[in-house]
Amino acid sequence: MQRKTLEKAAANYSYLRGLLAIPLGVLLILAALANWEVGPLRHIWVFPVAVAMAGAGWLAITRYYNENYGRLSPSTKQQVRSALAVVIALAVMGGGSLLMRSDAAWSLDLPVNAIAVSFALIMLISYAIGVGLKAHHVIIWGAVLVAGALPVWSSPDPSNIGLLLAGVAVMVSGVFDHRLFVHTFGAPKTLDLEESDVGA
Amino acid sequence: MSEPRSELILDRLIHEPGRLAILTVLSSVRDADFVFLQRTTGLTKGNLSSHLTKLEAAGLVAIEKKFVHKKPNTNVALTAAGKQRIARHWDQLERLKTLSESSGQQ
Repeated sequence: MQRKTLEKAAANYSYLRGLLAIPLGVLLILAALANWEVGPLRHIWVFPVAVAMAGAGWLAITRYYNENYGRLSPSTKQQVRSALAVVIALAVMGGGSLLMRSDAAWSLDLPVNAIAVSFALIMLISYAIGVGLKAHHVIIWGAVLVAGALPVWSSPDPSNIGLLLAGVAVMVSGVFDHRLFVHTFGAPKTLDLEESDVGA
Repeated sequence: MSEPRSELILDRLIHEPGRLAILTVLSSVRDADFVFLQRTTGLTKGNLSSHLTKLEAAGLVAIEKKFVHKKPNTNVALTAAGKQRIARHWDQLERLKTLSESSGQQ
């Protein structure tokens, strides 16, 4: 009886539904392209439409996971851990990126890509708190962290490149998370998933 | 032969591997549905259904049936008694393990 494996199933379920990262990654990339006013993204109405489409995609993917792998409500302990991860993420994103590089007088104004560094730190902290860091998290987000922290970002505003890097990393990490999810819980159609008449 | 110590007698209802797996998974969530339990425990639909019926009859789990997107959905949660019994059972297993390790060293 693998007690720890069974107890970690809920955390794995919540954090490793990697396909949900695809719409988020697409949005980050589109945000960067919209900032550069590339193609149709120069029109202000295109991005909200893309957000709505990403939302619809996210709901469809959630339904896929729910129907094939079931539903659960996390324990209070797990909800507290998730809330803690969000608070830390906000602190890193807000304070950290302003400190590293911004127009604020107290900014260190380092030649780094603050968006890439902040995003990588947020993801590493969030995974570490939620489910424990896996090898692919360390490799993918470690690479983004190192790339963002290299002192080569002396151009006026490297934020958009940071968004692009984060978008690609979110999607690649999501694909690896999903692979691990399938490895943990099995392929989608391997069970007879009709409902039981238990308790009837 | 001496009588076994009462605190080390295992709860037979819970000790069955399928039911122990179900209760252990449920102890780490607020509630979960039938499909999630099937995925995590690897039990067949019939086995899981049978174990849940026994656990519900013993008052260790509460089962709620509802419809989600027009499909039937069976939701399961540990009762207060269930939480207490599964925690106690794992404590007993840990104690037995410690006991067997210490007697093995003697």
